[in-house]
Amino acid sequence: MKITENVQNNVSRIFLDGRFDANTCGEVEQFIRKRIDDGMHYFVLDMENVSFIASAGLRVVLVIAKELRNTSRGDLCIASPQPNVRKVFEISGIDNVLQIHEDVERAAKGFLQ
Amino acid sequence: MQQSFEFPADTAVLAKIGEATVAAGRSAGFTESEIGDIQLAVDEACTNTIMHGLKEDPSRTFQVVLRWASGEVEIFIRETGDPFDPTEVPQPDITAALEDRSVGGLGIYFIKQLMDEVKYRIDEKGMKTLYMVKRGAGCR
Repeated sequence: MKITENVQNNVSRIFLDGRFDANTCGEVEQFIRKRIDDGMHYFVLDMENVSFIASAGLRVVLVIAKELRNTSRGDLCIASPQPNVRKVFEISGIDNVLQIHEDVERAAKGFLQ
Repeated sequence: MQQSFEFPADTAVLAKIGEATVAAGRSAGFTESEIGDIQLAVDEACTNTIMHGLKEDPSRTFQVVLRWASGEVEIFIRETGDPFDPTEVPQPDITAALEDRSVGGLGIYFIKQLMDEVKYRIDEKGMKTLYMVKRGAGCR
């Protein structure tokens, strides 16, 4: 998994590239936790280049979002998922508890409103 | 057509299993959405085998057999690790609010939701087989 980040207006935009499965979810979790330790509270996970997501990836997204909302008044949302990835968010019902946006800019703006 | 693989119990093999599953789904004439369903179900089943059945011990192995014909893909996952019957796992509450969400059980839920048939059996030698089949919309 390739992970890159761009921070603007205190929103961390994290760009994931690759499969988000049981083999790679630990890297993503570690990366975000490090940024939380650094003081970031708002995250957009850009999934335009995520070709596949499994429940292990969903678990990381859910756990981090829950922690951010409970402990630091922050939040996490998803941007630009491919149709197969969006479908996994939908059948798991996670689209009802997390915001999913068409693109990363719109997602980041959502936090500023 | 049939393909058989032997993999070590290491999550690094999941990408390769995904590629083989997608290729089988394409050969069987499934839509991209259906291929995504099959890939997800197989990934979840293999993840359970690697992590729970074989405790991520790469010296232990499991077998994946993909068998396909037009409009149908069958998958057999065989191993001799700890018994774990995914068909017995209760369904997670996918309507719960974020704070009440359980983070487990989703993988099995996907397998049951996305495949047309899921069976689990243990033979007299302790070999466990998870069998799944996906049929195309016109073949059910």
